[in-house]
Amino acid sequence: MCPGTDEPAPGGRSPGAAARVLVVDDHPMWRQSVAASLEEAGCPVAGTAGDGVQALRVAAATRPEVVLLDLHLPDLSGAEVIRRLLAADAEIRIVVLSASGERQDVLDAMTAGATGYLVKSAQFSEMLEAVRAAAAGKAVFTPGLAGLVLGEYRRLAAGARGDPSQAGGAGGALSAAAAAVPTPRLTERETEVLRLVAKGMTYPQIASLLVLSPRTVQNHVQNTLIKLQLHNKAQLVRYAMEQGMG
Amino acid sequence: MAGQMWRAVAIFRILTLAYAAVLIVRYHHFYAHPDAGLAVLAVMAAWTAVTAAAYAGPRGRIPALICADVAVAVLVLLSTRLVDTVRHINDGAPTLPVTWVAAPVLACAVAGGPAGGLAGAAVIAAAVIAERGALTGSTFGAAVLLLIVGGVVGYFVRFGLRAEAALERAARHEAAVSERERIARGVHDSVLQVLALVSARGRELGGEAAELARLAGEQESALRTLVSGASVRPPAGGLLDLGSLLEPLGGSRVTVSCPAGAVLLADEAARALAAATGEALDNVRRHAGADARAWVLVEDDGAAVTVSIRDDGNGFAEGRLAEAEAAGRLGVAQSIVGRLRDVGGKACLTSSPREGTEVELRVPRN
Repeated sequence: MCPGTDEPAPGGRSPGAAARVLVVDDHPMWRQSVAASLEEAGCPVAGTAGDGVQALRVAAATRPEVVLLDLHLPDLSGAEVIRRLLAADAEIRIVVLSASGERQDVLDAMTAGATGYLVKSAQFSEMLEAVRAAAAGKAVFTPGLAGLVLGEYRRLAAGARGDPSQAGGAGGALSAAAAAVPTPRLTERETEVLRLVAKGMTYPQIASLLVLSPRTVQNHVQNTLIKLQLHNKAQLVRYAMEQGMG
Repeated sequence: MAGQMWRAVAIFRILTLAYAAVLIVRYHHFYAHPDAGLAVLAVMAAWTAVTAAAYAGPRGRIPALICADVAVAVLVLLSTRLVDTVRHINDGAPTLPVTWVAAPVLACAVAGGPAGGLAGAAVIAAAVIAERGALTGSTFGAAVLLLIVGGVVGYFVRFGLRAEAALERAARHEAAVSERERIARGVHDSVLQVLALVSARGRELGGEAAELARLAGEQESALRTLVSGASVRPPAGGLLDLGSLLEPLGGSRVTVSCPAGAVLLADEAARALAAATGEALDNVRRHAGADARAWVLVEDDGAAVTVSIRDDGNGFAEGRLAEAEAAGRLGVAQSIVGRLRDVGGKACLTSSPREGTEVELRVPRN
């Protein structure tokens, strides 16, 4: 079974109903196999697509709840597909599948608004679990993703220290716009939790180690991603404004 | 490029022949032997044709012909003394071939680089001085000019040929890289996808299929490392990306997590960390149980790079280090510590039955 929830978070839609999935992958054999397995597991497949443009068209026509998106597409970048999918339907949940060695692509996709990430060699049961969690509005974190997110916060913090324009010292419209996007930071607790996730500990293990509820651990992890996504969105807006004003 | 240089020598020779011809035709009435002057001009024209034809192909550019070239120039130069009057010569009249004699110097420079050019120039310069019979201001000037031309042209010829060779190497390298990328795309679109699929589905099926899946998964990650071509990118200024060194260590039981960007470290530091990480993972395989999984986390806080290797095997309680020592774990840890000390870093081992064992490796940036 692939129900939308056991514990629906705000924003997860059609609780109780099976989440309809769109499978996007440029390899037909993979696409068909995943679609067949999903159907077998009781998860209705809204459609399949072999490239980004087709994915956007099929998503507009079939309105799936979850998109299982391979980052390696022949036409559009994964991040671009995600931005356009979310622009058309803000409620859509995107789980990214990627081969290893595409770290920047994965990070771009996650900050663009994907809610989950799995390596392509993940077991099918993990994939099913990820679809289920995404439909429930939960972030699907793997150790690899936690490592990427930790690295990104450190990169942002280093950029904020090294770049005087980020300190908001100089005048002018552009630097004012730059200063208007504050650098997101991790709390100590969030850093602690993310490091444990990156080292392969499960949420219940982390919860018992830090004496927290598993739900709180989940929230900490999810927050780290949401902050990055908001920052990314603010930067895009700032960029658009600068282009308009320039 | 060498062909173009030889063509330039031929063009120089023809132009200087034309200049010599103008002077000889105009002034041969004043020579002691006017007809001999015209005969020398004919010899020069014939030799110009011979060398232009011979130097056009690589087979004609032989040392014997280049020596003959210099010899002919010397003879033509010295023939001035037989053709013109002694008074003209002593008054500083130009030699019969004038600047034509610089052509063999260029040929020497193109064939033999700076040394060849200087040697040819020295012979011709000696002949110029011999023709005049004395070291005057103008013969000295001509000799110096010939030596400069021979040396400088020789230098630039060698320089140009080296640049051309380097350019050719770069073009070949680029072609190899783009061919590799093309193959990588092909492999990514087909073989890797199938291996990933076999690996994922096989594990679902379990039993013998799971073993096949494990093999497919290992081959997938090996092939992916091969075609992703991390090794193609040359290290930037003696720095290596620790991430691309560690990623190949990942597999069905090992997860490697890194920042998205490159984690650049000095060559030795990066290699020491990668070797120590590999050792720690070997250690996990040997001691933590066959089913233990391991996670490698790479963190870069600017001042230092930290690599943590955690396993979920049966760790050991604190205060039971003697047991760990007996199990051989500490010995390996000592070798890891040594590797890191060499690059100014340190390693520490923590373990508890609940959390497995964790090795933390830390190397500061200077």
